[in-house]
Amino acid sequence: MMTGVKTKTTEKFTEVFGSKAGTVYQSDREGCWYIDFAGKLVKFDYRTLLLLKKSIYRVDIEQLILDNGKSPEIEMVFICACNHCYFLSILQIIALKELLEGAFAMFELNQILHDRLHRMVV
Amino acid sequence: MKDIMRIKSLVSADIETLLNQQIKKEAHSSAMYLAMASWCNQNGFDYSSDYFFKQSEEERMHQLKLFKYVLDMGGRAVSPDVSGLKQDYTSLREVFEDALEAEIAITQSFKNIAATCMKEQDFVTFEFLNWFMKEQREEEYKARRALELFEVIGEEGTGLWEIDKHVNKIKYDSETAGA
Repeated sequence: MMTGVKTKTTEKFTEVFGSKAGTVYQSDREGCWYIDFAGKLVKFDYRTLLLLKKSIYRVDIEQLILDNGKSPEIEMVFICACNHCYFLSILQIIALKELLEGAFAMFELNQILHDRLHRMVV
Repeated sequence: MKDIMRIKSLVSADIETLLNQQIKKEAHSSAMYLAMASWCNQNGFDYSSDYFFKQSEEERMHQLKLFKYVLDMGGRAVSPDVSGLKQDYTSLREVFEDALEAEIAITQSFKNIAATCMKEQDFVTFEFLNWFMKEQREEEYKARRALELFEVIGEEGTGLWEIDKHVNKIKYDSETAGA
């Protein structure tokens, strides 16, 4: 699926951030993002991307690791107003968190560049 | 690539979260003052009851002001749950003590948001918060003055009756209040 995205739509998508586990792409034309992770490519708009970030950041990884009770070590990440949900293991949650952290750092950098280059009031 | 994040919203996700937390605090304050109005009314403190009814309305207005700001900036305003309200008080003094404590906590909360705005250089939200900062001056003054009535008048004899009568007359018209 990842190669499919790259070959088919190189001009349409910009890679925001990639890691071994997955990649975040931005579509300027559609004004949205695509996350290639855990074997599927999911489209996120501004609101759902922030909700995904919030729900992933909220997962208490330490508690999941320490909790050796009934927990199956799988977390379901469901995002309101989004047609998809993720079933992730602890390692995948860590990987998705890293991916999102990287992507949001890039967004911030992108914003700084836009502010400096395009939005400078002369 | 396009800066879609900025196009969609003027405020950052962190500031949006803080503003939503503040909306919840204002909703809690409004409900708390309503509970105080109820207690005062049940115990025969009519003027204090009116005072807290007005305070409750004011807090509700503050909540809406924040709520609309978040929406205007392209954010997501969350209608809050309000729970865990104290409904019973042991004395009129305790009611006013709680009111002052609540106002101090609200001022502190606004200071925290302002500090984050400064850190993020979000001067648009910072400017918006100025109205609330000024409002907190009045809110804290009124709550503090009400509590001082207990010292000045004293609770003995008809003291409580006098205090109740004076509560509604508290006004913040200091020359520092401005226009």
